[in-house]
This record gives sequence, structure tokens and C-alpha cells, in this order.
Amino acid sequence: MMKVKEGQIDKLGLLYERHSTSLFSFFYRKTKEQQLSEDLVQSVFERILKYRDTYSGNGTFSTWMFSIAKNAHIDYYRKKKRLREVEILDEERIPGDNPSGYVELDDRAKRKLVLEKALDSLDEDKKEVVILSRFEGLRYQEIADIQGISENAVKVRMFRALKDLKRIVTTLSEEYSNE
Amino acid sequence: MNKKHEQLIADYLQGTLDENLSKELEQLIERGEIDFIDFRAFEQLHQELELIAIPKPREEMRNRFFDMLAKEQVNQEFEEENRIIQNVRIWFRNLTASQLAYTFMLLIVGGFIGNLSSSDADQIEKLTSEMESMRQMMMVSMLEGPSATDRLRAVNISSQLEQADERAVHALLFTLNNDLSENVRIQSIEALIRWGDNPTVRKGLIRSIARQESDLVIVALADAMIELGAANAAQEFEKLKKDKVLTSSTLDKIDNTIAVLL
Repeated sequence: MMKVKEGQIDKLGLLYERHSTSLFSFFYRKTKEQQLSEDLVQSVFERILKYRDTYSGNGTFSTWMFSIAKNAHIDYYRKKKRLREVEILDEERIPGDNPSGYVELDDRAKRKLVLEKALDSLDEDKKEVVILSRFEGLRYQEIADIQGISENAVKVRMFRALKDLKRIVTTLSEEYSNE
Repeated sequence: MNKKHEQLIADYLQGTLDENLSKELEQLIERGEIDFIDFRAFEQLHQELELIAIPKPREEMRNRFFDMLAKEQVNQEFEEENRIIQNVRIWFRNLTASQLAYTFMLLIVGGFIGNLSSSDADQIEKLTSEMESMRQMMMVSMLEGPSATDRLRAVNISSQLEQADERAVHALLFTLNNDLSENVRIQSIEALIRWGDNPTVRKGLIRSIARQESDLVIVALADAMIELGAANAAQEFEKLKKDKVLTSSTLDKIDNTIAVLL
């Protein structure tokens, strides 16, 4: 990234090859929309190019990139005036109806479906910690820098996210099996 | 379970517990301060999360990024050139009358000496021609490369060429008809217009109309045909209207172009 900052912008291509899939995965897990996730990846790399002079080199590139990604995600919903709608959805996102065909699924597919629903039901901050830690492999300190809280607070958030997940998974599994 | 216990479990799940903390966690479980069944359930849940698979990004996402990067590189080069020109202008503006007179005198003397040695002039001409040929070779080889950035740069290099040989023209026409990137195809039209007097270029541009799928490229070709005054292109545009599904604005553009050409 330092080379990009110094004006060798073609080097951004290498960073793109290395990080774009991970960034896409981050957005997809948050939005569940292919096109939107791809648009947000593009937006992040445009911002990286635009604000390359502000890159200090302190901390990892991933931390800086995901901080920009987090802001791009927030800006998108702010622009669309959907932030409030999403927040409401988060609060109300309690287990939905029994998904059609659930009973016909094998155990592994059932578990996968329930886990997906449960992860979606978490509030944004907790979900973000799980995504960054479990799926993108960031260390707690890096997540702390992105979320602007202490490392210990991230650990507590991670634990509580799992606690919520466990509760929601149990509830959903029972509901879907009974219906 | 207190916050310290929660942090320990989070560290354990990420695999960052050192030896002392691992022992501490074991002792807490042994003493029942952390419930073993709960602990195992969290561990299992953490592992099971990998069941959640996601799709891969499509190739269009990558193409879009590299098109953007190529454009940015071209802009950066223009900015650099403008900066140099600006610096030269500032340098000239700051010259006093006597400095300016001295500079001109040096130029005249240099020109006079240059004229005297005609053999040097021949060498310079030869060198220039070799450089031109090297540029053409470089352009053709970059046009065949996999990177959209390089291909866009190659098209850009063609604008520095005084004349294009047959191979360069064919490479640019091939790019116009086959390149995956819309930007590269549009840039190649702009590069080819410069040699619009060349019958191969003219014919190639007209033939290319029927091969285009992108509305943007079709509009760029329509502008090019007007610029070249290529009346033969009207027929190709008529055919395009029949064969392809186009947006209403592109259809309007084609109608206007046909009206201008005929």
C-alpha cells in the first residue's frame, strides 16, 4: 500500500487480487445481496485510491481496508435512507416462519439453514465481530481498531454473540421441527 | 460467568491463549466456575459456523475494478505531463529579457550547427524511425496481454505514433472487435480515427459496427463515422437497427447519424 501511496497506483491491482474476495465475503455476509456486495467492493477500492494519502502504515492494511468497508456499508444505507429500516429489522428479526421444505432437508442442511438465520438475527456490531473474527481471520486487536473499542470489549462482544447465536439456534431448531 | 471468563473463552476460540491462560481456563472449568457443557457448546457452534457458505464474486466485479484502475492511471499520466508543461511555462515566465535573448541565441546556434552536419540529421531520422517501430511493437504486444490496464495503455501509446503500420492497425481493429473491456474498445476507436484516411482503418471501423454489443461503443462508433464522413456506414447502422435490441437513446443516436451521413 505504501507504493500505491507513493504514486505507483498499478500496485493497487495486487492488493485487489489479494483482498477483494475477502471483502466481498464481508459484504455478502452482511447484506446477502450479490450485486450490492460487488458494488460495495468497488466503492471501497475507489475510496482507497482517493484517500491513499491518508494511509499511515500503522497497523495492517486489512484493518484500514475493513474500516473503510464498514463506513462504505453505513454510507450506503444512510444514502438510501434505509438505515432506520435495517435497525428496525434487526430488533424485530426474531425467528421467522418455518422455511418451506425444511423438514425434507438432511441434518447438515437443516443445521446450515438455522445457523444462517441465526447469524442474520444478530445485531450489526456482534455480527461484524463474528464475520471478521471467524470468517475473515482478523485478530481481536484489529477488530478493536475497526470498531473503535478496546480489545477486551471485542472479546466480550464475541462471546456474547456466540451466546445469542446459541440461544437463537436452539429456538429456531425447535420452532422449525414443531411446525 | 464474568467478563474475564468471557474473554478467556473468546481467546480460546481464536486460538490465542498462552500456556498460563490455558491452565487458568482448565482450572475454572474443573472448579465448575465455567460450565463444561456450555463451554463445549460454544466451541462446537464456533466450528459449525463454517457450514455457512457464500457465493463467489462474479468476473464483472474484477473487470470493473481494472477498468477503473486503468482510467486512473491514464489520468495520472496526463496530470504528470500537465505538471511538467506548467513548470516549463513558469520557468519561461520568470525569464528576464536578457535571459530570453540568450536562450534564443543558443537555439539558433544549435540549429545552425545541426544543419551543417547533415549526416547527424540522417542518424537522428534513422533513430526516430527505429523508436517509432519499437513503439509499434510494444503496443502490439501489450494489446495481446491479459491485463485491461496494459491494453488501455497500449491504445494510449498508439496516440504517440506518427504513422501506424499494418500490424498495429490490425491489432487495434482486433481490439475494437474482441476486447472484453468497453473502455479499451472505446479508446481504440479514438486511436483509429487519427488514421481515418487509411482505407484499411476506414473499412475496419465500418465493419466493426455490426460486431458491437455495447451501446456505448456503438455511440462512439457513430461519432467516429460522422467525424470521418463515412457515408457507407449508414447501411451498417440500418442493419444494426434490424438485428440488435438497442436502447431508445442509442436508436435516436443512430437515426441522427444516418441522417447526417446521407
